[in-house]
Amino acid sequence: MSHRLPAPLGDVIDRSSVISFTWNGKKLQGFEGDTIASALLANGEHILGRSMKYHRPRGVLTADFWDPNTTVQVDDEPNVRASHRKLADGMAVSAQNVWPSLKFDVKAANGLVGRFLTAGFYYKTFMKPAKLWPAYEHVLAKFAPGGSVDLDTPHGRYDKRHAHPDVVVAGGGPSGMAAALAAAEAGSSVMLVEHEHQLGGHLLWGSNDDRAAANELAAACAAAGVEILTNSTVAGRYEDNWISISQRSHPGVIERLIKARGKTLVGAAGTIERPYVFQGNDLPGVMTSGAAQRLIRMYGVKPGTRAVVFTANESGDSAVEALQSAGISIARVVDARAGEGITSASGSKSRVKRVTLSDGTTVECDLLVTAVGWTTPTSLLNMAGDRPVYDADAARFFPAGPPDNVLATGGMIGDGSRDELIAHGRATGELAAGRAAVVRHRLQAATARAAAVDGPEPDYPADERTPLDRAQHPELYRSTTHGIVDYSEDVSSKDLFSAAGEGFDSVELIKRFTTATMGPSQGKLETVNTVAVLAEARNETIAEVGTTVWRPPYAPISLGALAGRINEPTRVSVLQPWHEANGATPILAGQWVRPEHYGDPAAEVRNTRTNVGIIDVTPLGKLDLQGPDVPKLLNLLYTNKWMALPIGGVRYGLMCAEDGVVLDDGVTARLGEEHYLMTTTSSGAAKIWNWIEMWLQTEHPDWQVHVTPVTTGLTSINIAGPNSRELLGRLTTDIDLDPTAFPYMNVRRGTIAGVQNCIAWRIGFTGELSYEIHVPSGHAVHVWEQLLDQGADLGVKAFGLEAQRIMRLEKGHFIVGQDTDGLSKAPVTGLNPLLKLDKDDWAGMPEVAWTMESGDHPVIVACQPDNGSVVPEEAAQILRAGTTEIVGRITSSRMSPTLNRSICLAQVTKEFAAPGTSLEVLLVSGERITATVQEHHAHFDPEGARLRG
Amino acid sequence: MGKNKPPAKYSAAGLLWRGLRKQSWPRVWREPEFKSTYDVVIIGGGVHGLATAYYLASNHGITNIAVVDKQYLGSGGSGRNTAIVRSNYLTPEGVAFYDRSLDLYNSMSNDLNLNVMFSERGHLTLAHTDSALRTMNWRAEVNKLQGINSSVITPAEIKKLTPSLDVSADTRYPILGALYHPPGGTIRHDAVVWGYARGADAYGVDLHQKTEVLDILVEGGSGPEGKGPSGKVTGVRTSKGDIHAPVVVNCTAGWASQLSNMAGVTLPITTHPLQAAVTEPVKTFLPTVVVSGSLHVYVSQTDRGELVFGASVDPVATYNMSGTLEFTEELAGHVLELMPGISKMRLLRQWAGLCDMTPDYSPVMGPTPVDGFYVDVGWGTYGFKAGPVSGEQMAACVANGTTPELIKPFELSRFTEGTLVGEKGAAAVGH
Repeated sequence: MSHRLPAPLGDVIDRSSVISFTWNGKKLQGFEGDTIASALLANGEHILGRSMKYHRPRGVLTADFWDPNTTVQVDDEPNVRASHRKLADGMAVSAQNVWPSLKFDVKAANGLVGRFLTAGFYYKTFMKPAKLWPAYEHVLAKFAPGGSVDLDTPHGRYDKRHAHPDVVVAGGGPSGMAAALAAAEAGSSVMLVEHEHQLGGHLLWGSNDDRAAANELAAACAAAGVEILTNSTVAGRYEDNWISISQRSHPGVIERLIKARGKTLVGAAGTIERPYVFQGNDLPGVMTSGAAQRLIRMYGVKPGTRAVVFTANESGDSAVEALQSAGISIARVVDARAGEGITSASGSKSRVKRVTLSDGTTVECDLLVTAVGWTTPTSLLNMAGDRPVYDADAARFFPAGPPDNVLATGGMIGDGSRDELIAHGRATGELAAGRAAVVRHRLQAATARAAAVDGPEPDYPADERTPLDRAQHPELYRSTTHGIVDYSEDVSSKDLFSAAGEGFDSVELIKRFTTATMGPSQGKLETVNTVAVLAEARNETIAEVGTTVWRPPYAPISLGALAGRINEPTRVSVLQPWHEANGATPILAGQWVRPEHYGDPAAEVRNTRTNVGIIDVTPLGKLDLQGPDVPKLLNLLYTNKWMALPIGGVRYGLMCAEDGVVLDDGVTARLGEEHYLMTTTSSGAAKIWNWIEMWLQTEHPDWQVHVTPVTTGLTSINIAGPNSRELLGRLTTDIDLDPTAFPYMNVRRGTIAGVQNCIAWRIGFTGELSYEIHVPSGHAVHVWEQLLDQGADLGVKAFGLEAQRIMRLEKGHFIVGQDTDGLSKAPVTGLNPLLKLDKDDWAGMPEVAWTMESGDHPVIVACQPDNGSVVPEEAAQILRAGTTEIVGRITSSRMSPTLNRSICLAQVTKEFAAPGTSLEVLLVSGERITATVQEHHAHFDPEGARLRG
Repeated sequence: MGKNKPPAKYSAAGLLWRGLRKQSWPRVWREPEFKSTYDVVIIGGGVHGLATAYYLASNHGITNIAVVDKQYLGSGGSGRNTAIVRSNYLTPEGVAFYDRSLDLYNSMSNDLNLNVMFSERGHLTLAHTDSALRTMNWRAEVNKLQGINSSVITPAEIKKLTPSLDVSADTRYPILGALYHPPGGTIRHDAVVWGYARGADAYGVDLHQKTEVLDILVEGGSGPEGKGPSGKVTGVRTSKGDIHAPVVVNCTAGWASQLSNMAGVTLPITTHPLQAAVTEPVKTFLPTVVVSGSLHVYVSQTDRGELVFGASVDPVATYNMSGTLEFTEELAGHVLELMPGISKMRLLRQWAGLCDMTPDYSPVMGPTPVDGFYVDVGWGTYGFKAGPVSGEQMAACVANGTTPELIKPFELSRFTEGTLVGEKGAAAVGH
């Protein structure tokens, strides 16, 4: 560690704890507390990567989170910010954008042809010959910047947390700490979020007094109960202060996403030091004044031996002191306030060697420190709707005025001494706490089960803070030469001038054309320089050009943290353990895991048709509807009529979307005077609930209807087969199953297997005599087992989804979404008697009326391949014989165990719908077969004798 | 491009020549004078508006045109979409339309002399369920007969094409197969905007940026202020002054219904945001466009190395484009279901665009009950793909006064005549 400075320099490193790591395969050592970059610099490694386009060597520029030059690959993690990430034992660190190596990079040859590779050059070439473009593209893609993804990276531990603090403070510098402390002292619960590794902000690299003050404030915050989150970033501010915080410091997890509903948000992000634009400004050894001070004072690293300092402010002056304390000789201080300036820097490939001043003199050095001003990171306030305004006197943008629940303090809104910043922070914290208290009071008053509020609502405090002054600062953006504006995108001021000259002369267009500000720091360092250069090119003021809209997140968040613990739930019926224990093969159907079959679906079909079968149909969507206006709702959503359904009655209904396309179907029962139970398709359950709520809430808020989804509250079991009445009869005493007392399409409530409040209705998808029972789920296993016990001699067996699908196809029942599609209007189903055009209105009626009038629509038909052993694929197209003209398609197909032949449902144009029509079916293999349209949809028992028995 | 060439031809030789001579390129388009009279005013400086202007000029010789945009060119949906193009639609109308669009995109770089970086990288629509696989098979069979290169491939084939996808069977959303459409791909959306703008400008079309339309001027209509049906459009009122024109074309998205209201024309449109996001760049590893309807996500990797993600539209109608945290959470969860290895990649930026949704998920194109007022709107989530062909057809519509066959199904009158079209089945997540 040849470039390490002696203690006491290096506040944050622990020299007693040595850490080993590798850099491009070379073994190196650093100290606990080092960032990767500080450790590398301490080892004399000052080139940390290469630039994206020209592959120019790059070194430390800002030595903090936003450093665009020091992203590295660490093990399997790409794009690690080496100037921020703490060194850890065993890290394998390597440079990005280098080929074949950091020291010798072939692509650096691009630098020689740079004048031809102006911004957006790729839009102007590689067009001819067109067939070579893919090859060109392949080469361009090789220049993609960034590290590499290891596709075998396991999903590590990520987590999420919800929080409801009164005040969230973004930024742990003096103002932020003071705000947090004051808010906590005023009784608020406070989260103080700092994206560096310790509180203190710029005090950390300031004077001894500054550092002592930082420690004191940090300790006071902790003592006051402020929740301090370091190495964490307030990443987003969404509607109503919904605040996302990326916490990289939570033990045991890689990154945690905290979602906080802050009653007040305090923006205390300070300022970001701007780089200066001049020729040679990206040479290693050129850095900001903050970078030099951080490296020396925090990490005890010597950034050079002989320095030129270009300063326009106190930070530059302070850097001079820091450099001197590190024993670095000061070759020259160039003071912008005295009218001095620098025009360019030059050096070897790997290091700055000399600086040319505005007066033409040249100074030798290996370190050039610039202190040319500040950028306000207004990003969070932008997300709150604030649009920053430029102040030419202070040479930076300031917030125009965020909403009431967002307050800004510190460097974001002005300048001042440490004490002034702290005083403003305190005032802001008090105001934030006062406003949060009002919100807290209102929330408590509005929450029924909360404790009674204490006293009247406090007054909403007005903003009576004494504003911070804004220090005068020279407008220093670009020297008289051209240099890099966006380091991560390799965009120079010259590129910006030529883009503006070509007409890409608004800030958004130039950004898109040159990609300036689009890189990993999202313009934190680049935006204002881009705006300034554009203003210069357009001969306008910076205020006239304006700035861009900053979008979330403030700092990038890992996909892992956003995803959290990956937990995509599946749903199961309470009977699922029984199914699994009894050999069920599971199938994923939407959200549900269900039994596809228990070994042999064909045998399940035969047993159900011969004896009796039971199937768990719990995923059926079930909505409990209560209220006097339920019939109106049903009448509006279903195509048929519902005003006269008697209590105890069950009716089938079809629903359409407003374009007349079939949306869902199911049966609805009237259980009582104002009480109905609606079933939907399994896949449509959530959709139909939304659909109903949409109608009730937006179109008919006056209707009195309560909608409660009860899909899982009731376990649904269908008992089907000739013995089903006998079986159910053995389990119930209070439901009269006599066919005259309980006919088809009726519902009864009663006790089944001792379980009260069961619902039984006589319907059936399978075509057999069947009862669908809905049992309170807590007792469902008991009922299911009783059915199997009591029905053993009746041949009862469970059957799965596949057997049910076969039986419904044998019966010719269509499935919404399979036999119909996104284009199928209701008349396609052939259920025209259910399409009541004489009703006042129903969803989709006009479209359905038009379709019926024109008659121009396909229809669902049953068909059977002439060769009963061939099962055409569900997708096979039906063609006009001998042509490629599509006239329909097979929508469902199976081998029928009952009929021992293949059976299908199809959609065909009307011309081909007549019974007896021969269809030509194109199999996926390319073979053509013939099939014949059947008279009925039902291939089996078309009269429904079994069902109604 | 005939005699109306832009002032400088883009080429490698040009780059070399100007590089050697340190000569700068001329403006890509002029900063035109604001005139008070034009033959045609096109509202909306996105792909649709600019393409319409370009084809009016290049195919029909109508060049006295103003394109007005309240912001900068391409500031709306044209610059916010995820730049995916394909033609494997389900209905014959859809296929014919998008196939023409894909043709135009294919030759666009040379037609417009600006590299739009069409990357024909192949487009995968994943099937996670039996029913989705059935739909893929259906689409493949239809496409096969229509001559569209599109087929269903197995998980093993998917893995070979796109190694980052997890095709193992024990995942929550197993990948059972995919519809593979080799001609689908991505394109640099801004370049398309600039290409048409530059081309139109070369013909003398005036592009007025930062010019907001405040009102549409109509005379003799049956509605309030003489607007509405049987009226005749006479121009537009903008933030820079009135423009008189016998033809006004509404080529906007997001505000299409509000603008049409200004002419007294009501459109059956609701506006929903669609959110998108992009990651930090990494070395390229994702060679295809991947779409998962069940997971509401589509993803591709740009040549710059960023992953670009999009979703389906937000369920709530709003003009708010600020985006939500929940979108990024759900997106990340779903993307990691598909590609578990990229959990350490970071989301860099999120944004939203506005989608004008019609009841049948199809656009509204052609004339309106107000004489001289045309619309090319209601493009939902897939306007970008259709930009070139829409411009070409709208230009023909405006120039000839009759609606071309290709866009006849999309006329506004269908909503009162009961002839809705639909691509909902194929375009659930329409990318």
